[in-house]
Amino acid sequence: MTAPETKVRSLDDPTMFVDTPATIYDAIPPYPPRTEREAEFYTLRDGEMLINIGPQHPSTHGVLRVVLKIDGERIVDLDPVLGYLHRGVEKICENSDWHMVISHCDPLEYIASMFSEYVPVLAAEKLLDVTVPRRADYIRVLACELNRISSHALFMGWLALDLGGITPILYGFLERDEIVEMLAALTGQRLLFNYMRIGGVNGDLNHEFMSRLGDWMSHALRRIEDSMTLINSNEIFVGRTRGLGRIDRQTALRMCLTGPPLRATGIPYDVRRAHPYSVYPELEFEIPTREEGDSYARYLLHLDEIKQSVHIIDQVLHRIPDGPIMAKLPRLLRPRPGRAWAAIESPRGQYGVYAMSDGTDQPFRLRIHDPSFFNLQSVGLLSPGHLIADIMAIMASLDPIMGGVDK
Amino acid sequence: MATGLSGAWAPPCPQASRSTEGGSDLDRALARRLQTALAGHLRAPVGGRGDTTEILVDVANVADVMRTIHDDPGLRFELLADLCGVDTSTAMEVVYHLWSAGSHDWLRVVTTGLSREDPRAPSVTFLWRGAEWAEREAYDMFGIVFEGNRDLRRIYMPPDYRSFPLRKDFLLPDDASRSPGEGVRPMEAAPEPAVLTGTPADLRHAREAAR
Repeated sequence: MTAPETKVRSLDDPTMFVDTPATIYDAIPPYPPRTEREAEFYTLRDGEMLINIGPQHPSTHGVLRVVLKIDGERIVDLDPVLGYLHRGVEKICENSDWHMVISHCDPLEYIASMFSEYVPVLAAEKLLDVTVPRRADYIRVLACELNRISSHALFMGWLALDLGGITPILYGFLERDEIVEMLAALTGQRLLFNYMRIGGVNGDLNHEFMSRLGDWMSHALRRIEDSMTLINSNEIFVGRTRGLGRIDRQTALRMCLTGPPLRATGIPYDVRRAHPYSVYPELEFEIPTREEGDSYARYLLHLDEIKQSVHIIDQVLHRIPDGPIMAKLPRLLRPRPGRAWAAIESPRGQYGVYAMSDGTDQPFRLRIHDPSFFNLQSVGLLSPGHLIADIMAIMASLDPIMGGVDK
Repeated sequence: MATGLSGAWAPPCPQASRSTEGGSDLDRALARRLQTALAGHLRAPVGGRGDTTEILVDVANVADVMRTIHDDPGLRFELLADLCGVDTSTAMEVVYHLWSAGSHDWLRVVTTGLSREDPRAPSVTFLWRGAEWAEREAYDMFGIVFEGNRDLRRIYMPPDYRSFPLRKDFLLPDDASRSPGEGVRPMEAAPEPAVLTGTPADLRHAREAAR
């Protein structure tokens, strides 16, 4: 007697159909289009199809989902979908006091968090009318420029990684690791420094930091330049980035680009010069620009900026005065009722905070303007017409940090 | 540099640019130019503090004002530094920050006259296409409808979400400790999120074409 034959369920069985309900993660959303643009995007012409990249995709530098409309290998249009990392930092800040704001803003731009904690501090200082001691200002500039170099070094490796070259990012991390260890000696943290304080900084320069900095300064520029010769004139890298994602000046201004993407079009807009803060008016440095406005120009610009940052650090070390590192402030801060806007030049562009105070110890409104959010937007303008593989080279060259984009 | 932009955009000599410290040394020349260019549109005299000049504009005039300060040869505010919504708990505001090569001050444009029940403001995407996402964010967080923005949908919150989280009457459970009298209130019931402009026929076409 034989056992009754049981049918084995297999995904290869053509008669079996697994019906999965439509979700908002599908390329085509299960709800009617809400806007003119959405209706236009999800209407397909002959030969076009939609594909979904992300939200978990190594090339999106975080949790970003992009719906691509393609015709063969060419991108026709794309629709970035944000919000996978949204934590509501602005709302959290409204419910925490001014000192807590610093550590909430810290993880926004997590590759260069010295900047994302500097801005809210600057805004609070404007509301409080505090004058920061000069030594603290110099230390801030020193820490920020170091962080800018570590962020830029990583960016340059990342761009190459997205184009398929694995080695450069290891060199990028080599540089970043040394700087991060240095900043860890200064602040106690490797990634989220939590170093800026309203009225100054958390700790003075110490021996370990200074000796690590001295070591690094002796070979910094040479080693970054050496490692970047790996890709600077690499035929594949240049061939894949030159002329890609080209944007002209007027369009760049209309798209609200700032930072390296804007300067790569030839507009020397840098908040450190355009609207100086801290001790930048006393320091000598240039604002490197490029004319081409393509991915390769954006890449090369980062190398020029690293050189300028090293130059700034050199001047800071020669000029840093003695003195206190914190202004005298009460422990409970109640800024005057009013509004303040503070902006700085982060590695990705203009990072701003618009703070409103109602006279209590908590901000009434804290608007965080992240450059990644505004720069990422132009990926929709730059990509159409290029190949699917090129979208990575375009997106990586805009250098978005999703922690800041999604807030 | 191909154009004369570089001199204007970046002060060549560091000493030429003013320090950010100082209480009330506003850019007087800028204030005068704003006063003459926007005479009829200002709700209050040009004000400000520190390094920011502030003007107050009625929501009906925002589009005109932005076009004027963008195009006027004496102002040329070509760089939109920020756009955000604000809920003052009695009214809504849209706040713009701008930067011009011709002035050392930031310019803040505060828009008044938006009701909390039905906040509507004109979109500035006709001048800065990059304001599109910022306006989507202000819509998502405050429910401010920007007329003329062709992609005004939620950007951070899921599409089926109904509230506007940054409004002052959207209370977090933690708020109960701040004002015990208020207690924990449920999320506000928001009106229908967006005006539906695409027709269902378009969508059906899209779905069938994709299959």
